[in-house]
Amino acid sequence: MRFKALIVLLVVAITLLASIALATNFGTKKRMPRPQEFGNVIINNYSEKNNIAPVVFKHWIHRTKYTCRVCHVDVGFAMEAGGSDIKEEDNKNGLYCGSCHNGKEAFAATAREKLVTEVQNCDRCHSYGKEVKNQKDFNEYLKDFPQARFGNRIDWMKAEATGRIKLKDLVEGISMKRQAIAAPKDFDIKSTILGMPDIIFSHKIHAEINGCELCHPEVFGAKKGVTKYSMQDIFAGKYCGSCHAKVAFPFYDCQLCHLKEVY
Amino acid sequence: MHSAVLYLAILMAGSNFDGVWKFPPPPPPEQYGNVLITRLTSKSTHPPVAFSHWLHRRYFTCRVCHFELGFALKTNTTEITEAKIRKGEYCGACHNDRVAFGVSEGTCTMCHTGKVSSSDGRFSELKDLPKSRYGDGLNWVKALRKNFIQPKASILDSKYESIPFDKNLRLEPEWGLIKTKAIFPHAKHTEWLDCADCHPDIFNIQKKGTRHFRMEYMLEGKFCGACHLTVAFPLQDCKRCHPDLD
Repeated sequence: MRFKALIVLLVVAITLLASIALATNFGTKKRMPRPQEFGNVIINNYSEKNNIAPVVFKHWIHRTKYTCRVCHVDVGFAMEAGGSDIKEEDNKNGLYCGSCHNGKEAFAATAREKLVTEVQNCDRCHSYGKEVKNQKDFNEYLKDFPQARFGNRIDWMKAEATGRIKLKDLVEGISMKRQAIAAPKDFDIKSTILGMPDIIFSHKIHAEINGCELCHPEVFGAKKGVTKYSMQDIFAGKYCGSCHAKVAFPFYDCQLCHLKEVY
Repeated sequence: MHSAVLYLAILMAGSNFDGVWKFPPPPPPEQYGNVLITRLTSKSTHPPVAFSHWLHRRYFTCRVCHFELGFALKTNTTEITEAKIRKGEYCGACHNDRVAFGVSEGTCTMCHTGKVSSSDGRFSELKDLPKSRYGDGLNWVKALRKNFIQPKASILDSKYESIPFDKNLRLEPEWGLIKTKAIFPHAKHTEWLDCADCHPDIFNIQKKGTRHFRMEYMLEGKFCGACHLTVAFPLQDCKRCHPDLD
């Protein structure tokens, strides 16, 4: 009996020590992504298993043309990298990337140049670890866009408001036009910590690019106050962090949300 | 077990914490916070870049470089290249001939000095600032509050205002027999830093949610040691955080 207890103790001690040794990066600052990396997603469910370079999906290039809603609601992309489990066959059948990358809305896997030469476009998406020259260079293409402090360093909202970009909210064959629901009112999100300014949440801004379905009812319940969450949850990529940790302006731009004086 | 040994060591050493914690040997005050950047120069014939924190923090708060410009907190981990500087990233955000001297044939050796002591001669410019006992011997918090210096808080947002969060924390020690608490004033930090400099990577924001928050890890450059070992007043200055220590 005593021998058993000793063994259990030993195993516990070893796992404890191992967990401390493994997690050596605690208490240190993580690397901040550079503007052109922010929002880039590496998709590698099947690529490397099939000896193809993983896909580097760039949010920034897509969001100059489409609202978030088009892909994350109508096309049905998940909110985390690899979460959609996309196969090549899906794309060929007009699902996921294939909804647009079909040679009509956007370039397809193969194209014909001057109706004769066949051009393979594989590299344009399966570009991880490769030196692929993009048609649109990040710095060059976005140099006249309104500036922001973090993320891509682009104020995407302002870019749309000033007409710098026009976002498509419907893609033929994928989206269905419905009568719009009037955007609900903006509201305050009360901070739970004394001295921390409240948040003014703009339903209107969010609804314009996300519709209702992207957030409700899964990320947030439909009734005010039913979903309880903390800033720590957001840091962990939940709730607001579903977008504001990796694609929309990042959560470390504290003052963008916490701007309402409570004194 | 580990903490018990440390506790015994503290008992034996009395209040002489230098005997317990292995503090890095202090550099001369004029070189405290100086950094030699060798990430790329070690592979070339160019001498390393000498960067002096005290030269810069008179004009800019920590957050300008370590938040807005994306400088990491550890030497040689920021991916600075000359091309990026010329494009206006990193050092180039200011060193562009508008805010500070730019990159040209004539200015290479202003930074590429190869010597950590290259700014020693200018240390006397700070002789009027309030004093402290350790590190560079200067009390920067006081210098800012008493208006000896007016560092810019943002170069990207002219209307920048920090969140007025001045909660003081009293941190209880993990070891039951030790009575010494640590104090943490938020406001003295947010005057220089951004919330996101520390949260959530270094300290998460859950009450008592930060794990392994211990002195020995700080000496490895974690937690408070990210700054208070190399740039901000060093850990040797025990009483500034542990005021009730004998």
